Amino acid sequence: MSRSTTARMAALLTAGVLALAACSSGGGTDKPAADSTTAAATTAAPEAGGLIAVITPSHDNPFFKAEADAAVAKAEELGYKTTSASHDDDPNKQSELIDSAITAGAKAIILDNAGADASIGPVQKAVDAGIPVFLIDREINQTGLATAQIVANNSQGAALVAEEFVKAMASAGNYVELTGKESDTNAGVRSQAYASVISQYPDLKLVAQETANWDQQEAFTKTETILQSNPGVKGIIAGNDTMALGAVAAVEAAGLTGKVIVAGFDGSPDAVAAIKAGTLLATGLQPAVQIAQLAVEQADEVITKGKASQEEKQSIDCVLINKDNADKYTLFGLTE
Amino acid sequence: MTAATTSQAPVWTAGDVVLVAEDVSKVYGGTHALRGVDFSARAGAVTAVFGENGAGKSTLMKILAGVERPTTGSLHVFGEEVAFASPVEAVERGVVIIHQELNLCPNLSVTDNVFLGRELRRRGAVDEGAERTAAIALLERLEERIDPSAPVGDLRLGQQQVVEIARAISLEARVLIMDEPTSALSNAEVEVLFRVIRELTSAGVAIVYISHHLEEALEIADDVVVLRDGALVAEAKAADVDLAWVVANMVGRNPDDLYPELGAEKGEVLLEVRGVSVADPANPGRLAVADLDLTVHAGEIVCLYGLMGAGRTELLEALAGRLPVSAGAVLVDGEDLTTATIGQRIDRGLALVPEDRQRDGLVQTMTVGDNMSLASIRSYLRGAFVSNPAEAKAVKRTISDVTVKTSGPGAPIGSLSGGNQQKVVIGKILLTEPRVLLLDEPTRGIDVGAKADIFTLMAAQARAGLAVLFATSELGEALNASDRVLVLHRGRVVREFDPRTTSKEDLMAASDDAASPEPADDTDGASA
Amino acid sequence: MNPVPQPAERPAWSLRLGDALLELRAFIALAVIVVIFASLSDTFLTGSNMITMTRHVAVNAILALGMLLVILTGGIDLSVGSIVGLSGIVAGVLLQGWEIPSFNVILYPQVWAVVVVSLVVGTVVGAINGVLITRFKVAPFIATLGMLYVARGTALLISNGATFPRLGGAPELGNTGFRWLGTGRVIGVPVSIWIMVVFAVAIWVLIRKMPFGRWLYATGGNERAASLSGVPVRTVTLRVYMISGLCAAMVGLIIASELTSAAPQTGETFELNAIAAVVIGGASLAGGRGTVRGALVGAFVIGFLSDGLVMVGVSTFWQVVIKGAVIVLAVMLDQGQQRLKRSRAAAAAAATVRHDGPPSRTSTPVAA
Repeated sequence: MSRSTTARMAALLTAGVLALAACSSGGGTDKPAADSTTAAATTAAPEAGGLIAVITPSHDNPFFKAEADAAVAKAEELGYKTTSASHDDDPNKQSELIDSAITAGAKAIILDNAGADASIGPVQKAVDAGIPVFLIDREINQTGLATAQIVANNSQGAALVAEEFVKAMASAGNYVELTGKESDTNAGVRSQAYASVISQYPDLKLVAQETANWDQQEAFTKTETILQSNPGVKGIIAGNDTMALGAVAAVEAAGLTGKVIVAGFDGSPDAVAAIKAGTLLATGLQPAVQIAQLAVEQADEVITKGKASQEEKQSIDCVLINKDNADKYTLFGLTE
Repeated sequence: MTAATTSQAPVWTAGDVVLVAEDVSKVYGGTHALRGVDFSARAGAVTAVFGENGAGKSTLMKILAGVERPTTGSLHVFGEEVAFASPVEAVERGVVIIHQELNLCPNLSVTDNVFLGRELRRRGAVDEGAERTAAIALLERLEERIDPSAPVGDLRLGQQQVVEIARAISLEARVLIMDEPTSALSNAEVEVLFRVIRELTSAGVAIVYISHHLEEALEIADDVVVLRDGALVAEAKAADVDLAWVVANMVGRNPDDLYPELGAEKGEVLLEVRGVSVADPANPGRLAVADLDLTVHAGEIVCLYGLMGAGRTELLEALAGRLPVSAGAVLVDGEDLTTATIGQRIDRGLALVPEDRQRDGLVQTMTVGDNMSLASIRSYLRGAFVSNPAEAKAVKRTISDVTVKTSGPGAPIGSLSGGNQQKVVIGKILLTEPRVLLLDEPTRGIDVGAKADIFTLMAAQARAGLAVLFATSELGEALNASDRVLVLHRGRVVREFDPRTTSKEDLMAASDDAASPEPADDTDGASA
Repeated sequence: MNPVPQPAERPAWSLRLGDALLELRAFIALAVIVVIFASLSDTFLTGSNMITMTRHVAVNAILALGMLLVILTGGIDLSVGSIVGLSGIVAGVLLQGWEIPSFNVILYPQVWAVVVVSLVVGTVVGAINGVLITRFKVAPFIATLGMLYVARGTALLISNGATFPRLGGAPELGNTGFRWLGTGRVIGVPVSIWIMVVFAVAIWVLIRKMPFGRWLYATGGNERAASLSGVPVRTVTLRVYMISGLCAAMVGLIIASELTSAAPQTGETFELNAIAAVVIGGASLAGGRGTVRGALVGAFVIGFLSDGLVMVGVSTFWQVVIKGAVIVLAVMLDQGQQRLKRSRAAAAAAATVRHDGPPSRTSTPVAA
């Protein structure tokens, strides 16, 4: 009696979780909301070609959420069952999630990994179990292991942003850079790309460089402090949009909107809104949705045809979003 | 770890003085716990140490066992001068103490407790087999049927005591200090303990024995010393003295010096306790107070006399609302307060001066004045705020009323001597304007002068029409500071005495196991 | 100048100076920080920078005030950072329009209602902490650690992980004005600083002028003695966690207003800064000791230190190391002061009994 109650509870709970997953996957795509409620039924369809596991960093960040949602939607469209989980940038949790995917008999794993070195072992584990792994957004420090490593060209995208920034600064004046978490490869790549472009203009002077750990509140506080000690700052270039928006708020609080230019990176919806409002100059759009869809398509190819047609390392170019094309923005994508 | 590291002692034979404390003094905060004590113990003999509460017995034992360090004076063990930095060093010299409060881990098994901190090892791992064999041997020697793998928390207190003794024996103690070893033991267990003690002394171990059960202690002792107010006032061979000699030396001075004039006019019944039972908080299966009745009138001072574990503290804490009453009723001036909170009881005029002032009476982080006004803080409100002048006035008045010696209300409470701290606690309770004043061992651990002050205060409160109920384990206090003595034994009032017509021997006899009838559990008990 | 030299006074005087220096150590630390950074940066001491830094301090100071009360009872509140995030998200939901699907309406409450609801949510979360601790006897560390996760998770659930941007409101909906909390000024001073001042004064009155304060210090100093004195220990403890939750919710509103956006992850590790501020201010984690003044100064020390390091351009990694070192140093000084006080008290007590002689060894035994 009590056991059957427990079982029913568990079933309800599972259904609830599935429904939740279905709802959130609906939110990330352009499908009308009504479709998402039937997604659970679709995933359970018997003709589906097996399970694809999607593992990304925390869905706190709309970027990773959009990426995961796009992968799930694409996989379901192609007739696969899916699981979507977050490793919260914890290599240990990532390893556990990969174990679960292996146990669940996944046909492929789509992974935005938790560290270039720390992820090699878990990926090896999956490959040893005969499951092809498709890395998105972040690379690992080893080739020949994953079937594909599809990443946005951070360097190229950052260079685009830097060029736009230089143009708006009229090639001269003091500027500040807010960098991301110093342990994150992308923080370094973007910072270097910014520097390589901006250093060609000797009249542009970097007066302060601070990490704000990808965080809006920290960027806000640090920008305020820096604006106090460097009153002549004309521009702020940030390693991601969250920090850029923190800087925008600080600039507004100081009454300097329009006098201090702010640029970001990632192409988040909030940043695009700020661009439309005129408080943010530009952002580099990482085509997260496109990358996730590509990875699933290639996974489908390997599952159905047994062979990959693309090279392992694939780099997808970023797109600059500024006032001119902001209207065409969709969630981490651009309409043509 | 054990005595093996020091000289094995072929040199030391029974009768030799093996432990000497010379001119030892100890000052705690403001109190002289010991004043220039010279003490010695002989191999193969039991030295009984007598004294009232606060006389310094436990302090002396702690110094001998390395738990505390003397303020002045020196220790010699087996002829060598020693300065123990910790009990571990004392154990290395063969000096082991069994504390009044047992030092066992209730979650670990008997075997684990016996070998705690010096586990037997084989290849780095605990050798559980060897430990178990050794533990069984020890327990057999103590003739105690205890499962060596049972958690200590499941054992009765008496059995736990035996585990402590087993642990001491396994440490190869050559000087064994026992602080109140029988307070939790049944008569049969005491018999076993005494046999074990005799076995140890015949093996040349020196035993230092402290007990409130005077006759019991005299029975086992070879040598007797008496402490009073921190000084060693008498010593003798046990064979040469009797109980009367011990009591006389313990109580000391002429009692009239210490105690005030009594005999306030007796008024209405203010406190009525009807059939109250209280579960033992340490052992909820047992009743600490069983179906107890008593009344206290306005202007009357009633003493609850009983040995440790008789249920005095539990009764008073239940009356004050700290412990729940499991049956019966508590009435103050006819009003039923059985289920009232502590705060409501204080509002209705029922308040307790607790036994342990450090733990239950004072807030060490607050000043003298803040401690004193704590219970009555709501009487000084002006609107929502505390009126500082009103509070300061009340505190100042009370400091002088209860004769606290302090530099002022702003002094930290820790700067006061024990007696003055106790007066602050009493002052705090008096500021709540009680009608029934409960005091649990109000003179424990304080200087003689302060004792006299406190009895004077109690008498003054009685004259002012309060009902005063206090608990004590000291004969002199019971007989000289009260209008009526109720003897408490195993949670019941077994006898009632008029102190003017009662001798110390009568009182002691009534409170002791052997003399009083064992109350059967199903009867309503021997109420007075 | 003094015609009567009093040599005996001197040691006492210098002792008192030493005392005062230790008593004021947090102030001294603050002064040292100000002097060092003022000499390294021209703009550090400017009025506008002082106001900016104080605004940054306000966030941590308000949290520290709530934390102070909790720590005075001997407890700890690890959930404040998460309550900051939750309160911001609640405000975000309400300002962006609260959809009630069953009635098919979207509610746009007034800004004051949004503020009240967010503060109530924070207070309720604090009350849950308090009930867990007083009723269910869960250790404060565990109860609030659990709440740290639950409140954060709730914020993520409500927001579905997304940030609520553009909380400025719309005139046609009548819900503009939220920005005032974070960016408005009254008599030239930012609103968030005023909020800090109001909270500080209110809490100072509460713990210095009302019976509640005495109960609070007594509960933290010795819970058993307090309860035997009739102090409603449970109620006091419950209230304290509610106030801490309220303070955290206020901080959540200020941050959401400053950024005009609410992110569910706002406030991570804020609890540690608040605890550090309280401890630098001389409070004891064991309870019973600590002041409003100390907690405020502690918050200023931490805030000025981190802003100053940014202005001077010290590397981020060193910033972290220096902050940690300052916290430990402050507490070490505190321990020194406590030891000094204790030995002073013991000496004073010993002096009062020195004249009592031991009882005579030869005293005549009373008749037995």
